[in-house]
Amino acid sequence: MRVFFTLLLLISVSFAGDATIEVIKKVESLPSIALEDASVSYDSTFKSTFFKTLAADLNVLSLFNVDRHYHETNFDGNVVVANKDMNYVLRYKLTEDDNNALNVEIKLISNEKNVLLKKYKINNKRIYVFVAHSIAYDINEFMGSPSVEWMKKRVIFSRITQARRSEIIIADYTLAYQHVILKGGLNLFPKWANKNQSAFYYSSLGGKKPLLKYLDTRTGKSKVILSSDGMMICSDVSYDEKLLLLTMAPKGQPDVYLYNVDTKQYKRATTYGGIDVSGQFIDKNTIAFISDRLGYPNIFSKKIGTSSVEQMVYYGKSNSACSAHGEYVVYKSRESSNAFSENTFNLHLISTKTDFIRRLTATGVNEFPRFSKDGDAILFIKNYKAQSSLGIIRLSHNKNYLFPLKVGKIQSIDW
Amino acid sequence: MKSILLSGAVIALLVFSGCSKEPIVDESASQPQTVTQTAPVETETISSDNVSVDTEKGMSGSEDSNEMKMVKLEKELSTIYFDFDKFVIRADMQDKVSSDAKLANAEASNFNIKLEGNCDEWGSDEYNFALGLKRANTTKNALVAEGVAANRISMVSYGETNPTCNEKTRDCWSKNRRVDFKLLP
Repeated sequence: MRVFFTLLLLISVSFAGDATIEVIKKVESLPSIALEDASVSYDSTFKSTFFKTLAADLNVLSLFNVDRHYHETNFDGNVVVANKDMNYVLRYKLTEDDNNALNVEIKLISNEKNVLLKKYKINNKRIYVFVAHSIAYDINEFMGSPSVEWMKKRVIFSRITQARRSEIIIADYTLAYQHVILKGGLNLFPKWANKNQSAFYYSSLGGKKPLLKYLDTRTGKSKVILSSDGMMICSDVSYDEKLLLLTMAPKGQPDVYLYNVDTKQYKRATTYGGIDVSGQFIDKNTIAFISDRLGYPNIFSKKIGTSSVEQMVYYGKSNSACSAHGEYVVYKSRESSNAFSENTFNLHLISTKTDFIRRLTATGVNEFPRFSKDGDAILFIKNYKAQSSLGIIRLSHNKNYLFPLKVGKIQSIDW
Repeated sequence: MKSILLSGAVIALLVFSGCSKEPIVDESASQPQTVTQTAPVETETISSDNVSVDTEKGMSGSEDSNEMKMVKLEKELSTIYFDFDKFVIRADMQDKVSSDAKLANAEASNFNIKLEGNCDEWGSDEYNFALGLKRANTTKNALVAEGVAANRISMVSYGETNPTCNEKTRDCWSKNRRVDFKLLP
């Protein structure tokens, strides 16, 4: 018996922290949290919207059982009777000042004590969702959980509005806030150019040749970086923002190229005669990419400047998109191969250090996976029954969240 | 009393320092720059009053007739269709490629050719765009083999973003796996 328990302990210790292991059932129950609105400004519609947004954010944190009942109270009053048994109460006060700025004051109450106090201010009520995301972020920090920095980041995506027409949109991760930054023509594959998200690269397909352009969101000015016959896409930006992985086809042959932002020089990183696309930095010297060198699309890696190529994924017969973070690779795999009916594409997670594969989605077309910078979450596109949605997978909590797009189809995303 | 006042001040300091230090909300999002893309140069419709002026400059007459000729020839050039997940030219498309090549070297010999590769809806990733490009490139190679000059041909892949049919049927998907011909001056 003792041997059995020792073995069990050893197994649990060896697999602890491996994201490819799926958490089927958590033994401990989550603490409860209720929200109390102590706002002194704004109409009931806005107050209700803010409440729902904040509750949804707390839910995505996956740390609490979030009570869905709406209660109003005074900011300095006692906890509402209905919430007496809650582990936590988040009370917030929305105030509009003389300059029409939205001020938010919060207190997190536990055991009748204020355990967290914070104040927020934004000049434009329209971007209230980012305040809600910031509050959720701060509560997550307070609880000591791994960072959810991605919650405060802005998502950029292209939306197909009709044939050969698209828009590039900046949004929050729930799509509640959306701002069309580029309209008209066919502009695709937006990719943030820097960590503070002040500029992005994108492919412009309006002219004679596909162009790679760079747009500064602060000045609104765009410039052409490169052009190529056939296709021209920025697949990844290095951590130091100095190198780009591009997919180009100057001679009709799609390959991965490495572009230096400072010297404006590029060199070919893959040389196979078939399809090599979607370069992703694993580290400064190693890239992952999609290639059909085995007769079907699959994920490979190589050291930049060397000729040897290594197959990364051994499961699935059509793996046409991936995102890498440290030892983990998330990839899109075709689950059915049928020219005559609906096809299913699912996302899978592998570790380069173990043989485990974890399937992350179950139905529909799930594609364009993108790891968050900290590897905590995966952003992806889901198309199911004519509905296009943005999806978030919380790896450590084994939870998926979907945020539907009301109009159009999401073509590509970055965050 | 003194200690209560002091701790109150400390809490206030902590609260407000939290506000000022950390840019909690990205203010740049509050005034996002709307970028109005420069509209492509459009062909102006010239009213009958202006026709004579433009004709005197020797401009509109030949340009218009060229454009009309291009539109007419584009309609005569056959679209090449492909099998699911493939970029080889099907046997039933060989004759169409030959007739396109013939037309390109005869009536359309004064124009450049843009081959537009397209795919069905199964995938918005780069691989799908590469598949569209490969289809365009295979068509280009077939045209070159039939005597069309390679330097007259440019290519673009639209991936799944340029469907001619939006229904979820096998016929519809097969119509979207194609290479279209466009003529350039």
